[in-house]
Amino acid sequence: MPALEISDLVVEYSSGDYTIRPIDGLSARVEPGELALILGPSGCGKTTLLSCLGGILTPTSGSIRFGEITVPGLEAAALTGYRRDTVGIIFQAFNLVPSLSAIENVEVPLRAAGRSRRTRRQRAHELLDLVGLGDRSHHRPGDLSGGQQQRVAIARALALDPPLILADEPTAHLDYLQVEDILRLLRELATADRVVVVSTHDQRMLPLADRVIEMVPQFGMGEGDPERVELAPGEILFEQGSWGELIYVVESGDLEVGRPRNDGSWETLASLGAGQYFGETGPLFRLPRSATVRARRAAVVTGYSVRDFRHRMGSQGIGAVLADAGDAPP
Amino acid sequence: MLVAAWRDLQWRRRRFLIAVSGTALVFAMTLVLAGLSNAFVVEVDRTLHVVHADRWVVASGATSPFNSSQVVPGAALGRVRKARGVVAADPFIALHNTIGVDDPTNVTTIGAVPGGVGSPTVTDGRAPRRDGEVAVSSRLDASIGDRVVIGGRRYTVVGIVPKSSLYGGTANVFLTLHAVQSSTFNGLDLATAIAVRGHAFRAPPGVTAVTNARARTDLLSALGAGRQTIDVVAVLLWIVAACIIGSIVYLSALERVRDFAVFKATGTSTPALMLGLAFQAVVISLLAALAGAVIATLMAPQFPIPAEIPPSAYVVLPIVAIVVGFLASLAGLRRAVTVSPALAFGGA
Repeated sequence: MPALEISDLVVEYSSGDYTIRPIDGLSARVEPGELALILGPSGCGKTTLLSCLGGILTPTSGSIRFGEITVPGLEAAALTGYRRDTVGIIFQAFNLVPSLSAIENVEVPLRAAGRSRRTRRQRAHELLDLVGLGDRSHHRPGDLSGGQQQRVAIARALALDPPLILADEPTAHLDYLQVEDILRLLRELATADRVVVVSTHDQRMLPLADRVIEMVPQFGMGEGDPERVELAPGEILFEQGSWGELIYVVESGDLEVGRPRNDGSWETLASLGAGQYFGETGPLFRLPRSATVRARRAAVVTGYSVRDFRHRMGSQGIGAVLADAGDAPP
Repeated sequence: MLVAAWRDLQWRRRRFLIAVSGTALVFAMTLVLAGLSNAFVVEVDRTLHVVHADRWVVASGATSPFNSSQVVPGAALGRVRKARGVVAADPFIALHNTIGVDDPTNVTTIGAVPGGVGSPTVTDGRAPRRDGEVAVSSRLDASIGDRVVIGGRRYTVVGIVPKSSLYGGTANVFLTLHAVQSSTFNGLDLATAIAVRGHAFRAPPGVTAVTNARARTDLLSALGAGRQTIDVVAVLLWIVAACIIGSIVYLSALERVRDFAVFKATGTSTPALMLGLAFQAVVISLLAALAGAVIATLMAPQFPIPAEIPPSAYVVLPIVAIVVGFLASLAGLRRAVTVSPALAFGGA
């Protein structure tokens, strides 16, 4: 039975003059029969990762292997075949075709695979019965509740019995009663010959998971003493896109905040001197650093945990920091 | 994906119905224009057939027996009748004239020897035998027994010649040769042509032999600019039809971007999606062609120049409609091709 193996996966794209890297060196392995959660806040690259796993997005570098298939290396026709035969995708917004009935939506992959009419009908009926919608097979999506639509979407994803199921925030648009049904279904899908990967920012799904792929590093909120760092001229303290848990205050010297452009040039965003703080946005909002900081002259900075920084700034001060977050250096 | 395309047609049926209606009207106009253009040809053929001459003799320098203002020398008739290959030959006159008094209408007066070559074949009543008699085209509002005024003289209608006209619907009236000579040439024995029945022959000096084909070409050339204009307008209408279908299919493609992304993400090939869109365009075109054919058939007789839609136009229309539909869907096809399956991800 095939396992899913992700190695040193990097995805980057240009945004204006800059390069954004939502996934940077991700590695993970999911065994057959496992349900893996891709966990992280919105915007951390969960959907990007699912797109790569589904053969919809080609990563910048790294490898995705599912059994004998190396996904990024597939040619266009093979990629279409991979998406059709190997992967079943459950979308956040259900994405049923509104003009097709429930059973016709389930038949879409079967049609794409060239199954006969009789086989299609039989299989679609089986799947709708499986998800408890046998009596709604001729209803259009607009006549179904959100939970029912998602169950049709699950039936569609299972149409060709793919060994890899990808679910993108499958409970995002459902109420808690509907969530229960969907979670139970997803858990049941992870059988011995199938891998299920679910992206979510909902930590309540953790008990379902056999494996968790954290898209954002877990940092403590306040452990450790302040960290004093001495920087030589030109030395980089941290780079854009990296993760960090410390907020820095300049003790002495000069630093500059900037971003490398796609053309290799450097754009200076701000200059920092003694007494100024920087790097608060990432740790406070659990985001990657949005700029690079380097010493212009020899400098000394002190890094504080979020809790120590709050303590140092006081309750009013942290409010000002948050208010200025958009303008302040990262 | 044909089923998905068909379901989408049903799903957005009001919009597609509007497109079919608009396109059907355009197709109908195209058919009617083709009918009008064809009517000019048909009326010439019909007139040549009704006077059933095999060849013509006209004055030197003239090109046609129907629109020549030159007369044939009287001595020529005897020489033509003696020419080898000529079975029969009679004088013939075709002139522009008017019918009616208070509201005169242009007609083409045709004078022929009763029972001779050039005398009309009449389906209702009979051909004129005496100077006071006339056979008129069914395009005129006249019945057998009616009294009509042609060129200021009164005649009794004795026969009806079906749909006989020239020059884009100008009705023909058929008189005896002597009646026309009396009213036009002051009774002189003159003619604008000699209608001949027989095989090829050598025309005597001073006159020119003209075939029916030449006479036909000459009559049609008088309407050449009009026919070309109609053809240009017809092409423009095809383009309008393509624009209507294209815009509807493109709008549909824009609204179905997420559907296309889902289809692609679930393994449907891009050619299959393109086939679905092209199918929609072709279905709209064919339905519009069908409706257009019905509308055109109903409209054609209502025109002042009754459109003679050739049967071949009904055959060509759906073929052209398929081509128009396919071309019209190109913009939508291009949109479908460029949709990224990644669009399927993300919120509603």
